[in-house]
Amino acid sequence: MAKCSLCGRPAIYISRISGVALCEKHFLEYFDRKVRRTIRKYKLFKPKDHIAVAVSGGKDSLSLLHYLHKLSRRVPGWKITALLVDEGIRGYREYTVKRLEKVASELGVDYVVVRFKDELGFTLDKIVKIALERGLPYKPCTFCGVFRRYLLNKKAREIGAAVIATGHNLDDIIQTYMMNIIDNDWTKIARLGPVSGPAHHPRFVRKVKPFYEVLEKETTIYAILNGFYEGFEECPYARFGVRWTVRKMLNQLEEQYPGVKYSILQSLLTAIDMLNKLGIGEGEVETCAICGEPSAHPVCRACMLKIELGILELSPEKLAQLPPSARKMIESSLKLYERRNAQNKQTNKTSRGVDEAASF
Amino acid sequence: MVIRVRILGGPTREVGYREGMKVIDVLRSIGVMSSEYVVVKNGRIVAEDEPIEDGDELVLYPVVSGG
Repeated sequence: MAKCSLCGRPAIYISRISGVALCEKHFLEYFDRKVRRTIRKYKLFKPKDHIAVAVSGGKDSLSLLHYLHKLSRRVPGWKITALLVDEGIRGYREYTVKRLEKVASELGVDYVVVRFKDELGFTLDKIVKIALERGLPYKPCTFCGVFRRYLLNKKAREIGAAVIATGHNLDDIIQTYMMNIIDNDWTKIARLGPVSGPAHHPRFVRKVKPFYEVLEKETTIYAILNGFYEGFEECPYARFGVRWTVRKMLNQLEEQYPGVKYSILQSLLTAIDMLNKLGIGEGEVETCAICGEPSAHPVCRACMLKIELGILELSPEKLAQLPPSARKMIESSLKLYERRNAQNKQTNKTSRGVDEAASF
Repeated sequence: MVIRVRILGGPTREVGYREGMKVIDVLRSIGVMSSEYVVVKNGRIVAEDEPIEDGDELVLYPVVSGG
């Protein structure tokens, strides 16, 4: 049995890169040192920040809430509020909401729950159904991610938070990096740093990732040791995403070549540096012509998705009042929708014809 | 002569015990990677080289996020 390299007690964790073995006490010290180094290195927080911790109720975000709450005892100017977005995923989210309520009350941390149903008028389950009926080519994770980011920013601003801390860990970051390489989306890659987003918009709340350099296995151990990894629920939509396959592939690589994940993170940091020098990812921040939220385009992604879903309808008068660039975006999206719809109808007709022919 | 392996949120599996077995051998025999699970034996997190005894029960905590 491996012994702690520092004190000789039974080891609970062995770094596969350095070979250093750590007992429970020394693992927690190592974890704390690692996260504090990230916070310092990337200047994630200021001494008087109101920090909104984005919590899903899963182990990573609860670990972050626990960790920052503990650290806040040493930073008297900090105020911590947990912020949970309830997308309305039946058989999944209700359990994680309960877990947040329990942990937040144990820690004595304020929390706010924002619901898709209240803010958008529909749960994610219903949105996925509408998207299927309308033949939209998006996966559930697209709607979830876009609307969740939109609501997190809006609600964090409303409660007066200066910064949003998310529980993304090293594994999450490098998976997103790989997914964006597959999509050839270098603008998104340029925004994958530990501090993300357009900082110079009055309605934008800065987002930071304190677990940027921590492996997912390490956040899991932290969650178990602190007693809030009690159950595991998997999002029913998780396996539809490319992330699932990318995660498996990266884990297999790490198993064969320990240290690969850290190398990919270094590759990402180099890429971000090069992209910043080229001015990629620092595009002008616009204001959505419909909702007024910060956006990379004349109309934000959340409003565009709402229009495509048919849950946001603009009258011809309202459309005419919009700036030309915003109007053009909406009109071309509606044209694309009509074209896609016509194609779908044609495909259905053809396949019905083939079915009928096959039945003879 | 079996080791019971309970995967949190998943099934319970049984693995035949062999002399000198370690946690990593159990993980391999059920076809999972050590980067995907944290292993708890008798209420304590254990490293991959932890020896296994006949009749031991392991609980596997998925490292992967649920969402």
